[in-house]
Amino acid sequence: MAFIKLDSASKIYETAQALRGVDLEVEQGQWLNIVGPSGSGKSTLLNVIGGLDSLSSGNVVIDGAEITGLSEDAMAVFRRERIGFVFQQAHLIPYLNAVENVMLSQYFHSMSDEDEAIEALKRVGLGHRLTHRPSQLSGGEQQRVCIARALINSPKLLLADEPTGNLDRENTRIILELLKKLHQEEHFTIILVTHDPFVSQWGQRIITMEDGKIKCDEFICYL
Amino acid sequence: MVFFKKSISERKGRVAIASFAVVLAVTAITGLLGITVGIREKLGTELRAYGANIVVYTEAGAYLTEDFGARISAMSNVEEATSQLMANVVFENMSFESVGLDFQQIKGRGWRLSGNWPKEQGEILVGINLKSALKLEAGKRIKLVGQGNSGPGKEFLVAGFVEMGGNEDNAFILSLPDLWSITGLAPKVSAVLVRGMPGALDAVVANIKRDFKDVSVKTMRQVAVAEDLLLQKIQLLLALITIVVLFSASVSVASTMGATVLERRKEIGLMKAIGATKKEIGLFYKVEAVFIGLCGGIGGFIIGFAVIQAVSKGAFNSFVNIPFYIFGAAVSIGVAVSVFSSLIPVRGALKYNSAAILRGD
Ligand SMILES: Nc1ncnc2c1ncn2[C@@H]1O[C@H](COP(=O)(O)OP(=O)(O)OP(=O)(O)O)[C@@H](O)[C@H]1O
Ligand SMILES: [Mg+2]
Repeated sequence: MAFIKLDSASKIYETAQALRGVDLEVEQGQWLNIVGPSGSGKSTLLNVIGGLDSLSSGNVVIDGAEITGLSEDAMAVFRRERIGFVFQQAHLIPYLNAVENVMLSQYFHSMSDEDEAIEALKRVGLGHRLTHRPSQLSGGEQQRVCIARALINSPKLLLADEPTGNLDRENTRIILELLKKLHQEEHFTIILVTHDPFVSQWGQRIITMEDGKIKCDEFICYL
Repeated sequence: MVFFKKSISERKGRVAIASFAVVLAVTAITGLLGITVGIREKLGTELRAYGANIVVYTEAGAYLTEDFGARISAMSNVEEATSQLMANVVFENMSFESVGLDFQQIKGRGWRLSGNWPKEQGEILVGINLKSALKLEAGKRIKLVGQGNSGPGKEFLVAGFVEMGGNEDNAFILSLPDLWSITGLAPKVSAVLVRGMPGALDAVVANIKRDFKDVSVKTMRQVAVAEDLLLQKIQLLLALITIVVLFSASVSVASTMGATVLERRKEIGLMKAIGATKKEIGLFYKVEAVFIGLCGGIGGFIIGFAVIQAVSKGAFNSFVNIPFYIFGAAVSIGVAVSVFSSLIPVRGALKYNSAAILRGD
């Protein structure tokens, strides 16, 4: 059975229909990129898989668990056990430094462990920025803190919504190399939304969304 | 927890404003409780300290004579009667109140004593407030002269200091014969303090009124009731103030928290995204609310305590004992107000859909 399985997933907002019956299966350990025009439902799809948003109809199964009907809190618990999120904007708590931001995620998961958090930051190349606050970090560095935070609890699934959308080519490459390395070492599943053709070439599969539907689904090989 | 600490210190300003509102509320509550408990204790203290429940006296300026005491104690249903003389004495060219009484009769009646109880004539007690004011010490000899009396006065040994919570705290307390000897007032007394059998007080009062003309007789309850009426008026006023202040403190905490919560929408969305339940996020606000409540509660208690003592000092010329549970009650109310008022805005904030917040393009 597929690691992620969506069955005629639909999401209707008051003003728009973001998803129109999406069927999708993703194998464990796969790196899937989602591309498509603005407003085509990419973020909505990602949020639905991560349980940040609920479906209007259809259902989602992740790792054998049907998450469609879960309450918000049950979903939060599910999320902290198995899913790491990275967003386009580096959402960090402004008054906590890099280590503390990572530790907060541990805190909600189980228990804060400073050494482990420092180790995670070293892995994303931020060993020299541990006690900097987000405002003292560059955009690329902030995004790397977010990656460290997303991966600290060893999730099986990493969801990234345009994680390099605000970064220049150089920083984008750093982030992607990092994801690639972690993906190869830890074999977690990655779903990454992007506009950028450069980014979408890093991965194993690309789906193209259009008007709330999957228009094209192709397998590739990453660099 | 470092997260809670930083979360609060990040919002010092707001926390301070909300705490200040709680301070005001708790000050009012402490005042109300303290005045109720502390000052009520003082009612009738003066009689209680003499072990009496009836006081017999004449109009100001006039005196009874000592044989009144003896005659009253011979009456039925009377356990004891002691005479007391109030007069002014001069010490180092300053005039002070003094009380003449029988030390043996009041011994062990809840007078707080430091030093020794006088054993013989020539030894006196001094009200605690005069101790530091006049730089007196136990064992010191001092000279007192009766005011308005041409006599040479007399030297006395200060045996100890007493605290009773009444006028005595500002007076010299002498044995009746000693006070007579320096004032020349023998055998006059100002009042007779009577301990009647409980349950037969009305009968005793009636007998005294029948046997002695031109005296005033009051039971302790009557004295207490008069003081109580005043107290009730103060309480009512304080209760009104407390309600108003409580209400405005709640509004202030709620709006402060509301503003904080708005500022923190992103933070809440993010915490949800990394897997925090509503309860866990709510804990951040609860800690903040409890912190505000504690700061405000403790601060309010301290101010309220000072206010009560100032009032008590003015009204009774002594400080009140405020039982520890009032501190507990004041702080608890502070915390309750703060936690309760922050409930509504925080509840609202936890409803946000994090996908919508984090989208934030
Ligand atoms: N909370 C919401 N309320 C109403 N409409 C929404 C909401 N979220 C998304 N939509 C609508 O749903 C559609 C899909 O939005 P979505 O954010 O998934 O697009 P996207 O493919 O991620 O676009 P972009 O590339 O610009 O990020 C859009 O038409 C959008 O306006
Ligand atoms: Mg999007």
